[in-house]
Amino acid sequence: MEDAAIVLSVARWWLYAGGIVAVLFLGFGIDRIDENARGSYIFRPLLVPGILLIWPLVLWRWLKLERNHHDISGRYNPLRQAHGPTWMVLAFLIPTLFLGALALRQTWPKDAPATLLAPPAGAAQR
Amino acid sequence: MSVKYVPVQWNSNKYWYDLALIALVATYILVFLNIAPQYLDHSKPTDGSIVRARAFGTCAFLMLTAILCIGPLARFDRRFLPLLYNRRHFGVLTAIVALSHALFVLDWYFNYSPYPKLEGLLGANTSYGQVLGFPFEIFGVFGLLCLGILAATSHDFWLSFLTPRVWKAMHYLIYPTYLAIVAHVALGALQSQNNPTFSLLVGVSVALVCGLHALAAWKEHSPAKSVRAADDWFVVGDVSEIAEGRAKIAVLESGDRVAVFRHEAKLSAISNACAHQNGPLGEGRIVDGCVTCPWHGFQYRIADGCSPAPFTEKVPTYRLRLDGTTVMVDPKPNAPGEYVQPVPVPEAVS
Repeated sequence: MEDAAIVLSVARWWLYAGGIVAVLFLGFGIDRIDENARGSYIFRPLLVPGILLIWPLVLWRWLKLERNHHDISGRYNPLRQAHGPTWMVLAFLIPTLFLGALALRQTWPKDAPATLLAPPAGAAQR
Repeated sequence: MSVKYVPVQWNSNKYWYDLALIALVATYILVFLNIAPQYLDHSKPTDGSIVRARAFGTCAFLMLTAILCIGPLARFDRRFLPLLYNRRHFGVLTAIVALSHALFVLDWYFNYSPYPKLEGLLGANTSYGQVLGFPFEIFGVFGLLCLGILAATSHDFWLSFLTPRVWKAMHYLIYPTYLAIVAHVALGALQSQNNPTFSLLVGVSVALVCGLHALAAWKEHSPAKSVRAADDWFVVGDVSEIAEGRAKIAVLESGDRVAVFRHEAKLSAISNACAHQNGPLGEGRIVDGCVTCPWHGFQYRIADGCSPAPFTEKVPTYRLRLDGTTVMVDPKPNAPGEYVQPVPVPEAVS
C-alpha cells in the first residue's frame, strides 16, 4: 500500500502544480497569446481540467507563443504517416491479447464437477 | 466556426447528434440493468452495484469501439461523415460513462477497504509478475486517465493553442487506450464469465476496430505521387479529371497534399489540410463559392485560402498553370491567405 500512497501523492502534487498554471494561464497568459480568447471568459473554466492534466505541455506552448514562435508548418502538416505503423502493430497486438486471455482463462473451483477421491494406499478405515 | 471562443458551438445538427447519443446510452443502460441479470450467466453472485458497474463498463467499451470505427468508415464511405462531425461530443460522453463505471466499482469493491478507496484500488493486487490474476485494474486506470485527457482537451481552443499536429499526436492516445481497455476487459471481466455473450461482443468489436484500421492504413500506404516536371513543378493531371465544384488532390514528393479545385471554369489550389483539424479539404466541395471541409464545415475562399469575414482561419495557397490540358502545380506553398490569380480553363476543354 505504500507504493500506492506514493503514486497518489505524486498525482496530488501534479494537480496542485496544474492548478497554479491554470490560474496564471487563464488569468494572464491566454489573453497575450490568443486574440480569439480576448473578451471571452465563459469558456475558460472548461479549460481547467485540461490544464490540470497536461500543464507541462501548456507551459511549453505558452513559452513558445510568447517568443512569437508561430509554428506554421505544424498547422498544415497532418500527422498521417503514424497511423499505418501504429495499426500494423495494434492489429496484431490487440487480437493476440484478447485470444491469449481467453485461452488462459481459469475454471473457477466451484465449476469443476465434484469427484470422489480414492483413499490413500494403506489407509485403514476405523 | 467562431470568431471568439464559446463553451460549446451549438447548432441544430449538434443538438440532434447529442440527443440521439444520450438516448442510445440511456436505452442501453436501462436494457442492461433490467434484462442482463436474467440472461447473463455470471459465475459469481451479483447485486445491483455490480450490474450497474457492468452496464456502464460495457457501454463505455462499445462507445469506444464505435468512436474508433467512425474514422476509417468515413474514409471508405462519405455517408459516415455526419457521424464524424460531432465525434468529440461522443468522446466526452464516453469518458463520462467510463468514469461512472469506475465510481460504481470503487463504491462497491473498495467501500469497506481500511485504506482510502483509490489507494485500495492501486494497492490491493500488485502481482504484476503473473498473467493469471494480473491486476487488470491498472489498465482501466490508464484507459480512464487517457479518456480524461482526450475529453478535457477537446475544446477548439486546444487545437488552435497546441496546433493541429500536436493536438492530433496527443489524441493518438486513443489507440493505446483501446489496447489498455481490451486488456482490462480480457484479463478482468472475461475471466469470470461462463456465458459467451461478452466474449463474443468483445471479439467482434476487436475484429471490427482492428480490421477497419488495418484496411485504412493499407489504403493510405502508398498514395500515387505526382510526377515532377523539368522545371520542378508537379503534374496534377488532366483538367478534365477535375469536376466542377470538386478537387483533385496532388501528393507532392515531400508528402504534402495540394487540393486543386475547379470553380466557375477556373482552377485554384490550396493546401489539402484544413486549418481547424487538418481535415481533407480536397474531399470537400465548393458551397457558396467557398471550399467546405467535409469534416466540420470550415470554409475558405478558393483564390486566397481565407475564411470569409468575420472568420479568421487561413490555409496556404499554391500557384497553378496549364500546359495544354495538363494542370501543373508549383510545390512551394504561398503564405496562408496569399491571393493567387485563378487559372481560366479554356473553353475547348471546359
